[in-house]
Amino acid sequence: MAASTRSIPSSSPSISRPSSKSPLRLGRRASSPPGSDSSNRPRRGLAITCTLTREPSAVVEMTGPAADVLRPDSFGRFGKFGGKYVPETLMHALSELESAFHSLAKDEAFQRELDGILKDYVGRESPLYFAERLTEHYRRPNGEGPHIYLKREDLNHTGAHKINNAVAQALLAKRLGKKRIIAETGAGQHGVATATVCARFGLECIIYMGAQDMERQALNVFRMRLLGAEVRAVHSGTATLKDATSEAIRDWVTNVETTHYILGSVAGPHPYPMMVREYHAVIGKETRKQALEKWGGKPDVLVACVGGGSNAMGLFHEFIADEDVRLIGVEAAGFGLDSGKHAATLTKGEVGVLHGAMSYLLQDDDGQIVEPHSISAGLDYPGVGPEHSFLKDIGRAEYYSITDEEALEAFKRLSRLEGIIPALETSHAIAYLEKLCPTLLDDTKVVLNCSGRGDKDVHTAIKYLKV
Amino acid sequence: MAYAAKAYSTVFLVNNSKGMAPTKGYEGHKSNVWGAGKVPSSCRGRYSMQAVTVDDRVVPEMEKIRPGKFGVYGGKYVPETLISCLSKLEAEFNLVLTDDQFQAELATALRDYVGRETPLYFAEQLTSFYRDENGDGPEIYLKREDLNHGGAHKMNNAIAQAMIAKRMGRQQVMAATGAGQHGVATAAACAKLSLDCTVFMGSADIEKQSHNVLLMKLFGAKLVSVGGGFKDASSQAIREWVGDLENSYYLTGTVVGPHPCPSMVREFQSVIGKEIRKQAMERWGRKPDVLVACIGSGSNALGMFHEFIGDNDVRLIGVEAAGFGLDSGKHAATLARGEVGVYHGSLSYLLQNSDGQILEPHSIGIGLEYPGVGPELSFLKDKGRAEFHTATDQEALKAYQRLCRLEGIIPAMEAAHALAYLDKLCPSLPNGTKVIVNCSGRGDKDASLFFNHMPAAS
Repeated sequence: MAASTRSIPSSSPSISRPSSKSPLRLGRRASSPPGSDSSNRPRRGLAITCTLTREPSAVVEMTGPAADVLRPDSFGRFGKFGGKYVPETLMHALSELESAFHSLAKDEAFQRELDGILKDYVGRESPLYFAERLTEHYRRPNGEGPHIYLKREDLNHTGAHKINNAVAQALLAKRLGKKRIIAETGAGQHGVATATVCARFGLECIIYMGAQDMERQALNVFRMRLLGAEVRAVHSGTATLKDATSEAIRDWVTNVETTHYILGSVAGPHPYPMMVREYHAVIGKETRKQALEKWGGKPDVLVACVGGGSNAMGLFHEFIADEDVRLIGVEAAGFGLDSGKHAATLTKGEVGVLHGAMSYLLQDDDGQIVEPHSISAGLDYPGVGPEHSFLKDIGRAEYYSITDEEALEAFKRLSRLEGIIPALETSHAIAYLEKLCPTLLDDTKVVLNCSGRGDKDVHTAIKYLKV
Repeated sequence: MAYAAKAYSTVFLVNNSKGMAPTKGYEGHKSNVWGAGKVPSSCRGRYSMQAVTVDDRVVPEMEKIRPGKFGVYGGKYVPETLISCLSKLEAEFNLVLTDDQFQAELATALRDYVGRETPLYFAEQLTSFYRDENGDGPEIYLKREDLNHGGAHKMNNAIAQAMIAKRMGRQQVMAATGAGQHGVATAAACAKLSLDCTVFMGSADIEKQSHNVLLMKLFGAKLVSVGGGFKDASSQAIREWVGDLENSYYLTGTVVGPHPCPSMVREFQSVIGKEIRKQAMERWGRKPDVLVACIGSGSNALGMFHEFIGDNDVRLIGVEAAGFGLDSGKHAATLARGEVGVYHGSLSYLLQNSDGQILEPHSIGIGLEYPGVGPELSFLKDKGRAEFHTATDQEALKAYQRLCRLEGIIPAMEAAHALAYLDKLCPSLPNGTKVIVNCSGRGDKDASLFFNHMPAAS
């Protein structure tokens, strides 16, 4: 559901008219461009009302440590972000999902089954790898510099962190008796992870992917089909991730009784941001244990790339209450922040509602979604998880951005120095080390989430790099 | 010295200390360092072999008596110039086996860089698939070498040998590669250890394997195109190595080659079998019953089998590539259809015609397209300790798709050959037999190959 310019009905007096400076957008769908795929759209428009206000006093006060604030609260909000901006038809499914999630979290048999699959099928735990040559690369002439570790989510089955969440949600769907699974995908990694678990658990699988993304990630399309999934091309809008997400949501609205929607990131309506975060939190939990084993302490700085925000939340969540651990998210600056062609939602976005959640998003003055750009398909998303928006606002996490060019350089750098080819998404986090390391004290322990492997990106990168 | 048992009467050995490769009279091999084909009749009668009794731990015992010999197989069929470098390599290899610090560093690299230990995964859906009408059938497990960094078992050996090179102070690493898997693993390991890497590859292979070529370049390796195929590439690599012995190291990827190469590669791959023993004990309190692995040159198979060679109650099954069929002449089933001869410096089975010319192998699993096989496997075949079967291209393609659809794991097309053999194996096994298949690599690289051959599947 794209955000629109429709103003709020004046029958709700508690809602103030949005100013042009920082507009409040509701999830009423604007009319779609002609010729767009409409086979799964419900006939009527989707009306949403909400009682959010713009008065600062009504917003949760953001003072004090992040740990004190419920993340999320019972409405699914992280401060003012998050929520459930969805049509009525989905409300029941979301509540059902939330109850199932909470009861399974306490279900020992479920947890044991999930742990077994994460170990034997996914290949966890993933190593915490000391990147010796990268550390040396950042050593200053006086011999000082931080120590750089990579959390090797690239070694997971299917080659990215995505499978942690896919596996858990597939098990959950089975418990709910759902036989049909849908998912959206940008880079294809979440699509592959979903197709993988559906094959493993014998579920029907439909993946929505933007037609443009399908072209630049052909290998992943092959993989999904091999695994028995149906890949549906989405041609509407700009034929990328946000359009695929909208299409998936439309499908879910239509088929909610039989279908579970495995959302791939910490975006979307509650309970998804919380669920996906919990299923990826194993990354941070392992990191804490491994850091203790390796150097007897906690990491000092955590760095992760941010598209929707799932790998970052997976790493950060464990440490949010540890105020001495710095959390750094790196978004895509595409051709540059001033070019208008980027995906740096937290740096350049404004608050609005997209895909069922209130969060920062890239929108123009009319509240239309701005087409993002990044060389990496997985970061090419105009929104961001609501919890990231919250962490930014309270200053608990810092967010920066990296251009396509810097990411490509980092892609090559890690390949040459460590013999590890990172995903282009991950390369954004690696690129940020160039700016970060000179500012860090000697011996600072930096853990970077190597969220995926880059075999899928070699052909893209080679076009730009001179090897 | 008394001659060996009658079983060996058709094979004639070259005395190790001479180490001469019989190159005379073999067309097309004149420029080949290795020499190949049948041992010429002029060598007949001058050599002998010590008889070795066969008992439980056959191979390790033999290696103590005659390092590099597996019965008649193995050896060092190389020119004099190579003998001293091979001896130095052997000495270094023996040193690292007992060097605690090296072993600790290797263990860390295998854990944090490669991602070991790899899981022993219960393939529930595949097991159900093979159950009969009564619900009986074996239990099928996969050893997940596909989860290694680099996507195959190759890295186990590449990282260990690159560490040896570094330890020996050799800055320049040379490697030869056919399908490219070994080249990629070597290039990655060299990048990590800041060694210079030169990979020699046949020109035809470079064209076919453009993705692997890209990967090697990305890792910073220098790629040298050699006219011909893998054997020419490896000859060139050896030549360059000999030309710069002080500074360079030849990193072999297969269990073929002159001693100590087969033993070294097997040693570093044997981590697979060692983990299996431990995992099987944890899981079932006992050993596995059947081990199945695909065979190209044999490194993943030996890596899995070696640990269990002395356990006669563990069945060892190797599956080679039957290509278009064993009678088509287009296959790579060395142990099924080959004859004994010298290839790449060791005596083993190989695919050759009656003139001793090497036959061009074919398989849809490009890593299996090798006309030779490790000498240790030749020995296990002759002894009857391991069984060897084959799977055709079609059978491998079906097995490839089956694992994707049933378990959500895309196997390497090479590993798919091992999986294909389950069709024939499972109906014959008693209920509850524990079968482990070595899933030696992931098959993302084979996705487009699959769709080219089975377009109806997409």
